[in-house]
Amino acid sequence: MGIALEESETGSTVRLDGGIDIGCAAELKTKLVQALAAAGAVAISVEAVTYLDVTAMQLLWAAERKAHQAGTGFGVAGEVPEALRAALAEAGLPPLPVLIPAGC
Amino acid sequence: MPQAGDGERRGTRVASAGNAEQFKQSFREEAREILVDLEAALLELNENREDQELVGRVFRALHTIKGSGAMFGFEGLAVFTHNLENAFDEVRNGRLQVTAELVDLTLAALDQIRAMLEEREGAAETEACAGILAHVRKLTGIAPKPKPAVKAAAAQATIASGSPMRQWAIHFAPGPEFLLNGSNPLLLFAELRQLGGLSVRAAMEMVPPLDEIDAERCYITWEMVLAAALDADAIHDVFIFVEDGCELRIEPIAAAETSTAAMRDAAAQGLEEPRASGGGRRAYDKPETATSLRVPAAKLDQFVDLVGELVTVQARLAELSARRDDPEVAAVAEEIERLTSALRENSMNIRMLPIRATFEKFRRLVHDLARDLGKDVELTMDGADTELDKTVIDQLGDPLMHLIRNSMDHGIEPPAMRRARDKRPTARLHLSARHSGASVLVAVEDDGGGIDAERVRQRAVERGLIGADAQLSEAETFALIFQPGFSTAAEVTDVSGRGVGMDVVRQRVESLRGSIDVESQPGLGTRVTLRLPLTLAIIDGLLVSVEDACFVLPLASTLECIELSARDIEQANGKHVANVRGEVVPYIRLREHFRINAPRPALEQIMVVESGEGRFGFVVDQVLGNCQTVIKSLGRFYRHVQAVSGATILGDGRVALILDPERLVQDAIKAAGPGPRGHPHGAVESSRVRPAARARAH
Repeated sequence: MGIALEESETGSTVRLDGGIDIGCAAELKTKLVQALAAAGAVAISVEAVTYLDVTAMQLLWAAERKAHQAGTGFGVAGEVPEALRAALAEAGLPPLPVLIPAGC
Repeated sequence: MPQAGDGERRGTRVASAGNAEQFKQSFREEAREILVDLEAALLELNENREDQELVGRVFRALHTIKGSGAMFGFEGLAVFTHNLENAFDEVRNGRLQVTAELVDLTLAALDQIRAMLEEREGAAETEACAGILAHVRKLTGIAPKPKPAVKAAAAQATIASGSPMRQWAIHFAPGPEFLLNGSNPLLLFAELRQLGGLSVRAAMEMVPPLDEIDAERCYITWEMVLAAALDADAIHDVFIFVEDGCELRIEPIAAAETSTAAMRDAAAQGLEEPRASGGGRRAYDKPETATSLRVPAAKLDQFVDLVGELVTVQARLAELSARRDDPEVAAVAEEIERLTSALRENSMNIRMLPIRATFEKFRRLVHDLARDLGKDVELTMDGADTELDKTVIDQLGDPLMHLIRNSMDHGIEPPAMRRARDKRPTARLHLSARHSGASVLVAVEDDGGGIDAERVRQRAVERGLIGADAQLSEAETFALIFQPGFSTAAEVTDVSGRGVGMDVVRQRVESLRGSIDVESQPGLGTRVTLRLPLTLAIIDGLLVSVEDACFVLPLASTLECIELSARDIEQANGKHVANVRGEVVPYIRLREHFRINAPRPALEQIMVVESGEGRFGFVVDQVLGNCQTVIKSLGRFYRHVQAVSGATILGDGRVALILDPERLVQDAIKAAGPGPRGHPHGAVESSRVRPAARARAH
């Protein structure tokens, strides 16, 4: 697993890699809080994710709610693996929001 | 980096390796219990092959093991069990008949599941599993599936079962520790999908703002609708290993049965949102608090030990208060005595378990032995709810097994012989348990050929256990079967004949401070009764003293107390015998036995006890009174001192040895002279022979 936060002038990207589960939930929360505290939109990259557990799902959901309340752009950038879509659907959760790039 | 597809496996992992092992262990324990029930259900099913309720019980048990096994990382076990579950699904659907072959195959599979639980799957086990699965395929015509059935197939199978189809509203709110415990809701949902059509909606209302989230806690709750031909219990089984601390409600949405066709459509099209279920009867309600708790036996032992310490300290306090003569201290001491007594009783009760599980596991043994020996045997039970201390129960399995094997091999005749003897071809083996005072009587009884006393005697002479001219009563003869290496079997079989089993029975029963009673009638059968103490942790005894030394004699074996005067000693011409209402009773003087060098008092006391060798007396200075004491082991260094079964600490801090009268008598007999019929100090002839078994004929 891996969680990386990349910040740029236009916003931040939280890049997730491998299996994201309870073992890295605290780290994911920290990175999401940091990303939302920084200026600009927050992009979540899940292309390399093989598994997302319930802790990660609820953190992404809470982050999206916070971004929405703050009027910050938040969403997935890039492709969402089919296994991830299926896992979200099986858990009864809505699909991850897609980040709409600024200017669109 | 994990590969795609192993997400579920990752999900089963827990936060730490320690937790993982703990929950695996918890699963193992629960699975073992389910296997015991499963085995009993299978054996019952073998007798009542059309009983759909039993088929359902077997199916549900397999299903639970499979589902929970997958959840706790026993994936091989889950896949293996899934194939068996398929076979019983075929039985449920009427496509497969219950046969002795299917039952035997499933019983063999249970053994493999047990091995898988212990994670001791070697090459032999793998081969055995493959063999069983091949056999299952032959029986069912279904290829073993490497993965659990997919949703549609499961829903289809459920619908095809013909059971009433229902919609169930399931509300599931995981507890705070749910994810930390290694549980994964997605796996639960996957399992529910195997039962029928499932729709899931996650409710996010309880998820706090991002900054306030405890990242490892699950805040999501779920509302689900399941369409399945099942009852609430079967759905509840899916949650059985995770429900503690969680909120779970399972309620029927549609009370009336829905037509199969309509439900098939619903399952195929996905399900509607749950309707208001105000009018529906609540089929299952989880109790607000758990009614039972699983506690490791070691913790319980530690608790009992601490209570033992408390009892000792309380005794010291009582003695101190008696000396102080202070009413205030006395009042507190009395209150503490009352509480300690209640606590001791309670702690002992916690250790008491019904003997049922031990009895039930012999159904399988009897089934397998009957098949192997070509005998027809019906096992019946009585008093299975009788409770005994866990330690006693744990050690009872082996002796009972040997007694049953012995009965099946030597006692019960083959059907043809039974017919020739005008007996019912199906033999009866009866296990029973009942309380008798501070003891429990556990009996193994058969209606076989009985013990051939002459043959036993002949074999004992051949083996030099008794002289050719020894005059033994029938009871004494029966007691010989418990001698090491004794066997009347003409040949050694897989089942018995080595003369080891009965010796094991004797040793184990002796170590449990119990005794054995044998009753046998030629041609009609044999009953072996084990008399065992209710508990090993506490002993009801009589406190006696010799000079400054204190001893405890078990009350259960003590018959009476009489005085021994100098005149009595004179009348016996110096022999260690006393005249007890006309009966001559040999005695052992503890002063001499323990080499306490001090002058004898003018008047001594004889404690008369009933031992395997008959009535014996123990001469002491004083009888101090009744005492209920917690037994403390003497430790490894004194393990060879067999005449002392333990020690206890008295109120004044002194140590009192707890004596084993049986062993003391045997030691005295041995010391008195050679041969099994020696007598202590020239006393009268013993009426019994070793071992410590009491035997009598009907």
